[in-house]
Amino acid sequence: MTDNFNRRNFLKMSGAVLAASTAGAAMSVSGSALAADTSAAIATGLKAALPKARGPRLVVVGGGTSGLTIAKYAKKEYPKFDVVLVEKRDMYSSCFSSNLWYAGLINLEFLANHSFLDGATNNGYTYFNATVTGLDRASRTLVTSEGDIGYDFLVLAPGISYDYDKIGVSDVDTMTALRQKYPGGFISPTEHVTIHRKVQEFEGGVFVQSVPGGNYRCLPGPYERACLIASVIKKNKLKAKVLVLDANPEITIKAKGFHAAFNELYKDIIEWKPNSAITSVDVEKRAIKTEFDSYTFDDAAIYPNVRGSTLIEHLGLMAPASKSTQKEANIDTRFYNIVGDPHVYVTGDSRPHPYSKSANTSNTEAHYVAKVLAARAQGKEIAWVSPRTICYSMVNANPMEAISVDAGYDYSAEKDAITGFSKDTKTFENRDTAKGQATLEWARGIYRDMFEA
Amino acid sequence: MDRRGFVKLCTGTVLTTAFSQSLSSRAGQIEAFPPAKLVKADGSPLKASEVGLNEAMVFAYPFNGIPCYLINLGNRTAHPQAMDSTDDGVFSNPEGVGKGNHLVAFIAICSHQLSYPTPEISYLRYANEGSELAGKPGRIVCCAHGSVYDPAEGARVESGPAPAPLLPVALDYDAATDGLTATGVVGKAFIQRFFKNFKGDLIERYGAGVYRQDVGETTKAVPLSQYSAVVPAC
Ligand code: FES
Repeated sequence: MTDNFNRRNFLKMSGAVLAASTAGAAMSVSGSALAADTSAAIATGLKAALPKARGPRLVVVGGGTSGLTIAKYAKKEYPKFDVVLVEKRDMYSSCFSSNLWYAGLINLEFLANHSFLDGATNNGYTYFNATVTGLDRASRTLVTSEGDIGYDFLVLAPGISYDYDKIGVSDVDTMTALRQKYPGGFISPTEHVTIHRKVQEFEGGVFVQSVPGGNYRCLPGPYERACLIASVIKKNKLKAKVLVLDANPEITIKAKGFHAAFNELYKDIIEWKPNSAITSVDVEKRAIKTEFDSYTFDDAAIYPNVRGSTLIEHLGLMAPASKSTQKEANIDTRFYNIVGDPHVYVTGDSRPHPYSKSANTSNTEAHYVAKVLAARAQGKEIAWVSPRTICYSMVNANPMEAISVDAGYDYSAEKDAITGFSKDTKTFENRDTAKGQATLEWARGIYRDMFEA
Repeated sequence: MDRRGFVKLCTGTVLTTAFSQSLSSRAGQIEAFPPAKLVKADGSPLKASEVGLNEAMVFAYPFNGIPCYLINLGNRTAHPQAMDSTDDGVFSNPEGVGKGNHLVAFIAICSHQLSYPTPEISYLRYANEGSELAGKPGRIVCCAHGSVYDPAEGARVESGPAPAPLLPVALDYDAATDGLTATGVVGKAFIQRFFKNFKGDLIERYGAGVYRQDVGETTKAVPLSQYSAVVPAC
């Protein structure tokens, strides 16, 4: 009873947000799917133009860090798999490392010169350019804009969607304007291009970078971006500041390293405001309200809260609110299958785990999930392995200096939950140029791991 | 992880069949390549006594596009042990060479995501004096994602995400001249994968096809700080 009530209430409250964020973030669901009942999915009867499966078919949805890594390594672990990667984009560009572009430390090619076609060819799977519109788990059929695909195993790795509702923006007009004019920059390449332009063309005044509450994608991302925007301001000797409106009481990760950078490198440029969750935004007036204050800005990147991809909800795979307050997937903590369905898995940033939603987490998690799939295709089980969150944050652009963290996670069998960071978690918070250089190679390594043989 | 556990349980013969797909015909041992004498930048023979303690020396072997590290372990000595590789099955690393068995050599390509030294930069280095990553002296560290290898233990992984050790290069030591000659490596399949990953870069640096060619009768060994313009000290 209580659960039902909570869940319905929860859904109702966020209904408006949902529809809007789905359309705007260009997520994997077409307009028609929005109207459909969340649990229903009707196969179109049209078969996707794909060769007949030559082995157990593994369909992976989502060509981001998680999906690309799983497609490659599941095939490596179990060569009999016939792997199809379904991705709605026809051009890759990574979200990770995009902050570096804003300060001119890399070019767009660094992020985008990676081909879905080559990734598939190098690693013996098929790239299928289509958008998922439905799922019929009874007949093991994935419905896409380009026809139906039968599967033996299905992995959904659709990433995140934004949840504007949680920053007090629930009317569709404001949300649409906000998402378009002051995008968060943590989902799609077109947001990155816009923020790049904003930073490069910024000539003075206040630039707001917000930090949401909850488990948002790339914990250090907004702080790193603040540093890099401040680097540009410093270089251009602008009369300007970066106002960091942080919903959290403390910097959420590598706090020592970021505080040092804020104080030592950008004392008069970065103004960091803790406990400053956004409660409303007036897009026209460029005004933001927090619980106790109000601010105006000249330009901004408003990072709203984060939730599991709307695709997860539309396919009826969302966890109850008791298990995820961010509309993430209802999966087994260790093995990633939808509870009660060993054929469907959800990985990457739509997982409900308290893991850092980062590229390295998804990449290492995917190596493990590939092994789970290979084992299960052969009727076996393997032991759980923690993902690893190794991640650098560039806190200075001139010269490049970074800080980093290397974290693992503990699992409690008693609670069947992730209980915290593992003992071998380390942070390296003294910024230096060595880590600054390494930041670039960190990304190149992950690109290689996703796309090369 | 699984695979490594599996290997430990298995005997050599079972392994050969289990991993036949990824094993070269001579897995488990060093594969001989045409020998190449190590020389200095000016072309004169490199003497074992000239290999400094502080940093690795870089030489190409067995092909122009494959960088290797020559490391002076000082008063540590190399211990041969059974190892598992990512692409070339199981092998045993060779003993050190030189008067005190203190010289070892490895293919300088990180087993994790293949970072390797280029003339522009090397994220992989031997940190004799210690490093933030290793926390102790005498380790090979990879800045890219923080892998640490112990060159005295066949470059096995001490920490970080690397799935397998660095692959060994066999050296012959001539006590009469104090000279060093590279004679073979483990890593035939690994090298092919490396070439595939970096084809564009290697063609740009060496010329099409050139990076795949044997180094010839001699190969130049230079200190890493001279080989790479930037060597981040992670
Ligand atoms: S490439 Fe060396 S640690 Fe990743």
